[in-house]
Amino acid sequence: MSDATGVLAADLAPEQAKTPEARVAGAMHGFAQEIGALSAFRLESCIHCGICADACHFYIATEDPQYTPVWKVEPFKQAYKREASPFAPLYRLLGLKRAVTADQLVQWQHLLFDSCNMCGRCSLICPMGIDVAALIEQARHAMFDAGLAPKELYQKAAHQRATGQPEASTEPYREQLLAIGTRFAVEIPLDKPEAEVMLCVPRTDIEHYPSAVAALARVMQHLGISRTFRSDGLVAENYGYYAGGKSWQRDISLRLIEQAILVKAKTLLVPECGHAYTALRWEAADLYGKPLPFTVRHVTEFLADELQAGRLKLAQAATGKTTFHDPCQLVRKGGVNDAPRALMKAMGIELDELKNHGGFSFCCGGGGGVLDIERAAPLRYRTMQNKLREIDDTGAETFLTSCSDCRRTFDDAQAHFSWNKSTHSLLELVAKNLAGAGNRT
Amino acid sequence: MDLLSFARGPALKVALAVFCLGVGWRIVGFWLLRHRRNLNKPRASVLKFLSEGFVAVGSRSWPHREFIGRTGAGEALGYSYHLGLFAVVLLFTPHILFLGSLFGITWPGLPSSLITMISVLTLTLFLAVLFRRVTNPVMRMLSNFDDYFSWFITALVMVTGLAATAHIGGPYQIILGVHILSVDVLLIWFPFGKLMHAFYIFPSRAINGALLARKGAVS
Amino acid sequence: MTHAKSELTVGEMLLRHGISRRSFIKFCTATASAMALPPWMGPAMAEQLRNSPRPSVVYLSFQECTGCLESLTRSFAPTIEDLIFNTISLDYNDTLMAASGEAAESARAKAMQDNFGKYVLVVDGSVPTGAGGAYCTAGGRSAEDTLREAAKGAAAVVCVGTCAAFGGIPFADPNPTSAWPVSAIVGDKPLINVSGCPPMPEVITGTLLQFVTTGRVPDLDEHRRPKVFFGNTIHDRCYRRPFYDQGKFAKTFDDEGARNGWCLYELGCKGPTTYNACATIKWNGGTSFPIQSGHGCIGCSEPGFWDKGSFYSPLSAPAWGKAGEVSPRQVGELAGAAVAAGAVLVLASAGVSRLRQRHGEQHTDNEPKGS
Repeated sequence: MSDATGVLAADLAPEQAKTPEARVAGAMHGFAQEIGALSAFRLESCIHCGICADACHFYIATEDPQYTPVWKVEPFKQAYKREASPFAPLYRLLGLKRAVTADQLVQWQHLLFDSCNMCGRCSLICPMGIDVAALIEQARHAMFDAGLAPKELYQKAAHQRATGQPEASTEPYREQLLAIGTRFAVEIPLDKPEAEVMLCVPRTDIEHYPSAVAALARVMQHLGISRTFRSDGLVAENYGYYAGGKSWQRDISLRLIEQAILVKAKTLLVPECGHAYTALRWEAADLYGKPLPFTVRHVTEFLADELQAGRLKLAQAATGKTTFHDPCQLVRKGGVNDAPRALMKAMGIELDELKNHGGFSFCCGGGGGVLDIERAAPLRYRTMQNKLREIDDTGAETFLTSCSDCRRTFDDAQAHFSWNKSTHSLLELVAKNLAGAGNRT
Repeated sequence: MDLLSFARGPALKVALAVFCLGVGWRIVGFWLLRHRRNLNKPRASVLKFLSEGFVAVGSRSWPHREFIGRTGAGEALGYSYHLGLFAVVLLFTPHILFLGSLFGITWPGLPSSLITMISVLTLTLFLAVLFRRVTNPVMRMLSNFDDYFSWFITALVMVTGLAATAHIGGPYQIILGVHILSVDVLLIWFPFGKLMHAFYIFPSRAINGALLARKGAVS
Repeated sequence: MTHAKSELTVGEMLLRHGISRRSFIKFCTATASAMALPPWMGPAMAEQLRNSPRPSVVYLSFQECTGCLESLTRSFAPTIEDLIFNTISLDYNDTLMAASGEAAESARAKAMQDNFGKYVLVVDGSVPTGAGGAYCTAGGRSAEDTLREAAKGAAAVVCVGTCAAFGGIPFADPNPTSAWPVSAIVGDKPLINVSGCPPMPEVITGTLLQFVTTGRVPDLDEHRRPKVFFGNTIHDRCYRRPFYDQGKFAKTFDDEGARNGWCLYELGCKGPTTYNACATIKWNGGTSFPIQSGHGCIGCSEPGFWDKGSFYSPLSAPAWGKAGEVSPRQVGELAGAAVAAGAVLVLASAGVSRLRQRHGEQHTDNEPKGS
């Protein structure tokens, strides 16, 4: 059965340790019971036109119809029609829809996790205005309940929920953070009792791009803003979001929320991470159960505001021909369209835009947890080629982005394809080009 | 009772009743499911939220520049036959009179021969659409009974309507009877299949547009 | 006008009336041509008729308005039709005959007896069977009884008018007299329906003439009407067809369209579904027909025309109302009731669902509900 079975059986409370079939049945039943009006409306509205396939880079790269976005949620459409739709009794009575089987869901694991970045491009093309990406999110919840989240995502989510870190590390992130401060000669305010801005870091940056962590600290230090990191709420990413475990997503977000409340923060600053922004800005309050008592801002948004207010001044950056990758969760799904470009403009950078940029940009290929799923690598590489070609076609020398996981995905591709470009962080570029003295201490 | 009197008499009455009851049931049925309140702070004002919703109703009618290369032809085909259908259904005088007796208002129609030309063109496009559904691998994989039957019953209405106006295929009262009867079947089928998209399309686009605008996202 | 079986042939009768053989041949040729018979049949019919003794015709009238007889006798050129009357021996017709009472009835009985198996039985009006047949009696005998008896010795039965052919107006909802068409009573004889309300004079005479001269029933449609007269619809032959094709319809009876002779579809014309010869032969010796006069065809030669919806409601309109015309108010009531019923049913089913949902609530841990 699923890769996650062994782990699940050990992890679940005794009363929830059922047979795989029973677990699948329970998950589908739960899905049907809890589906809301909006998701139902979306499932109802699909007219099988197949146009969503033309937005999805997995389909575009492979021309394999099974990667049609709405097909990824097909068992859930089936379950909805059979159990929760207005004519559900008729469907059951006349045997018009069969119950979703465990085998079917196991097959669908590949479609829902390995071949979907949750990038939301399909939601922009559907002529019926269906938010297909939202349906995929719903489907992942049921897959998680059925014990069918891929093990890499499941394990990281479980670990993060328990410890705050997706994976064990040689040294706890707290220590690594302080070490970065020392190494790069930058202040790391940690565990202050009160602060206006609560900071967190992408663990990808701690592990792979410590200079980006330093850049965050440096820029905030330059601006002299009242800020702090908190040991008990350090990691920006949310593996519960990737794995589809909604309550785990909530628990993981709660760490940051509680710490922010504790320090009476006015702003929770999301660093260069895409899905952290989605999880905190657009989903955390619903999971929390009430509006958040602080603002959630992405670092680019925050800095763009500082720029606008005249508190941040930037020098010209000599980047030559430059292009920018718009992280899906930040731009397309997050609505942060202008901030990155405002910052780049302020540094005198004139972008040679990608053919598909802004809200229509193609995903890096690593989003939605795909980067973490080992068996998905071949498909990911195949799919990424289109994006790499687009980047090459701009003739850019410098390639920027504002999400550490995108950066990691591109650098992984650089190694795999011997690609001639490295991916650079916009925040790091900003940190390198701070002009004038800071205004506050 | 002869076929024509049956089709436009008791059969039509039943068909309209099933249509109204079914559509009402279906829409109210899923709208009664749970509604989630959005507790996240919106990026846009309520006004922008609402207006973007309205805009999305129209703007989703044509793909964005980035998508046109891949989807333009297919979408154009789909919209074309819809326009043809609307023209025939709403601008052919006997239809206007039918709708007039249902709703109490009439409007001017197009010359009948022009309608015939539009019908023939629409039917051709409609056949092309079936061909596409069957040959395109994505659509073939997605398609089920609903897709094919909805196509079939709509095609039947079109074909019998053309035959009736052209007075071919048999005695007029039989062909007209079959045409009206096929409309009755279409009305009865309507609430149960994908034809419901006629009711869904505008609210669905509006909601999607509004929710995206709420986040300040492109739609 | 009862004639005893006379020695005079038709030709001799004609000569007496001053009609030359040539004139008569011309008439028969015209009639033959109207019936799409081959040209040589005209003179042949004429010869046949002239040399034969006049066949006996018994004309029975039941629940009718006498309009069919009026049509037949209201001929434009009385001499010609009158002649036809004289080519047959009309042995019984309660309106036209001079005799009455017992004398009339015994004349009929004698004619039926003398010509048993050979007389043509012409019937107009429907046959009521309600109240034991009391709704239509003559000489103390019900229409049904009279008809059954008369049919026994008939060579053929010709049902003139929509009442005799299909039940007509008495048959229309609610049919209080339990009226029936002749064909429902008489089963075992060659039967021709010459429908219309009334039928066209030439259609009646042409049909009779053909049977009388050839002894054969003409080609009939599924309603047993002679195809030669009832094979096309009014719409097929209507001179206003070009306006129909162009979509030019009169909207009221005296608007500009009406005055310009536009198609009367919107005003309820049933031409497309009505089979008759009105558009070609026309009425009053070819003067006009209803559409030409500006009124839509009411479909009077069709079965159940009275119950097929309002005369003024177009063919494409729904027709389920009592009066046949469906008003928007009725539609609104129907739709409203249906939507309300649907809403009630689904609310009930949703209530049941919610109860079931609350039951199954404990199985997941604290998950935020619904999205």
